[in-house]
Amino acid sequence: MKNIILKNRYTLLVTVLTVYIVVLVIEGFITGRQAQVLDFENPFFDLNIKDLEGLRERRA
Amino acid sequence: MSNIVEARALTKTYGSLKALDGINLTIPTGAISGLIGPNGAGKTTALKALIGLCDVEGELNVAGMDPRAARHKLMEDVCFIADVGILPKWFKVSQLIDYVEGVHPKFDRIKTGEFLSTTDIPANKRIKELSKGMVTQLHLALVMAIDVKLLVLDEPTLGLDIIYRKEFYDRLLNDYYDGDRTIVISTHQVEEIEALLTHLNFINNGEIVLSAMMTDLADIYTEVVVDPEQIAQADALNPIHIRELLGKKSYTFESVPKAQLQPLGEIYTPSVADLFVAKMKDSRHE
Amino acid sequence: MNKFHLLQFHALLQREILEHRNMFIMAPAILAGLILLFSVWAMTRMGQDTVSISIEYMALLFDGLSPLEMAPMFMIPAIPFIGIFYFCAIIYLMNSLYQDRQELSILFWQSMPVSNLNTVLSKLVTIGMVAPLFYIATMFALYVIALFWLAILGWSYDIEVAGLGYMFLAAVVSLIFVYLSIVTTALWLLPTIGWVVLFSAFAKRTPILWAIGVFILVGFLEEFIFGTQFLGNFVQSRSTPTQYLILDFQDVVERLINYDMLFGIMVGSILLAGAVYMRRFID
Repeated sequence: MKNIILKNRYTLLVTVLTVYIVVLVIEGFITGRQAQVLDFENPFFDLNIKDLEGLRERRA
Repeated sequence: MSNIVEARALTKTYGSLKALDGINLTIPTGAISGLIGPNGAGKTTALKALIGLCDVEGELNVAGMDPRAARHKLMEDVCFIADVGILPKWFKVSQLIDYVEGVHPKFDRIKTGEFLSTTDIPANKRIKELSKGMVTQLHLALVMAIDVKLLVLDEPTLGLDIIYRKEFYDRLLNDYYDGDRTIVISTHQVEEIEALLTHLNFINNGEIVLSAMMTDLADIYTEVVVDPEQIAQADALNPIHIRELLGKKSYTFESVPKAQLQPLGEIYTPSVADLFVAKMKDSRHE
Repeated sequence: MNKFHLLQFHALLQREILEHRNMFIMAPAILAGLILLFSVWAMTRMGQDTVSISIEYMALLFDGLSPLEMAPMFMIPAIPFIGIFYFCAIIYLMNSLYQDRQELSILFWQSMPVSNLNTVLSKLVTIGMVAPLFYIATMFALYVIALFWLAILGWSYDIEVAGLGYMFLAAVVSLIFVYLSIVTTALWLLPTIGWVVLFSAFAKRTPILWAIGVFILVGFLEEFIFGTQFLGNFVQSRSTPTQYLILDFQDVVERLINYDMLFGIMVGSILLAGAVYMRRFID
């Protein structure tokens, strides 16, 4: 196991980052942290070609 | 005599390039062992592996430790000088000495001072202001003041002029070597160190192609300037190398009894340089 | 940890300071010099009346305040120092395990009997605890000069500047707050520091691009695999500047011992452990 992780810099990096993100996610679920805070609004995400008028209104 | 270095089947690959291809290397305690090979033969990789500066596969034991597991412990007993100026350029000479004194338990500051007083190196200059020869001298001054079991030198005199080169090896032999310490030197310039060595290792394409004591070389290898009428017989004895010499052909043999060679012509012991050329060509054909 | 190990660690810290003397000693000194020059220039532009009114105003402002109450006001001049410090800290951490690999001096460092763990720890202690001391010392010198100057001005304009001693105490207290702020912030941001140091040890070139690029990539992968954004959330929850200042001694314990701080130190240590092991791969 140790040999695989320490085989080269890439395997080590992937292992470390995997452990890190898994710990973050598990902790997040256990403590019930708000998982989605980066809920930024971008008018282009719901771009609808047929609704150009609506877009113009929203952006104005 | 025990061995300070024992390496079995060391392998190191960089992508598809095999820098070390299953090297076996033993270095007895107290030896001055040369690791000689052309550029790119794997010398530096092999030496770095010995001191844990390079991750390799295979069995490795240096001064009773596995360098990969305990580099910093090993470094209390091993010193290293590399072919490139690796001393940090922003250090002043005196600050560098302070640093080594601080981190190395076996460093003797007085010895370094004594050594430096015989050189032109000023203590208040930064390392980047020193010439390459001076940097090497400084590194040697540090290393000679550390009481270690094994000193590893990777092309230590590369790029230095002849005066520095000669002085470097003189000092090493006279002021440092005491018969208990072990020195490993890599180089591609055989002539320069052949008088120093007790053991010889040739390395080519990541493989050790010759490993012998200097005193045994004369027994194992024979060079014969073959008389023209004996050439067919000489060819039959599997020479490892043939070269033209003043219109005659000179054959190099490995492990062929001298009595058998005597009738073929004049017998010599090959110089290390000739042997090197012979072995490099020989290993290329295999 | 015996005596030799302490001395060895001291040598490692000394090495860091010497190598980065521009960032740790010159930068704050130049900043202090500029502030002094600017103050002198501003004084010469002011009329005599303005100067005397200003001094009186200041004397009035501080009148009746205890040093502890005055201290936050003395932290205002510290802001540019803290700004420069954080800027230098980012550069320092980015280069911490990268530069020596670039210039090959790593072969020398690694040929000394210093473990990778101690090397990494020495860099963290340097930036989190030792380097700030140089900034504090420079600010202290600046405050002493300023107070001295104020005393002379007050005397020459014949205004009684009461409480100069209290002001001095307030300056000292404010510097202690600045120091405590930097140290607690270093611990609070340990996950970020760990991330930067990990990529400093990993990248063969441009560690900053690796650090940012992989952060975005991991963020996307997290959302893709788990459908969550805990990574982005985690970083964002630690990046409000108000979290970085300590203005009261009671704050310190509160900031240091709480679940979020300890969890941050824990996950930061995962990344730092990765950086320690990454030091094996130097070629």
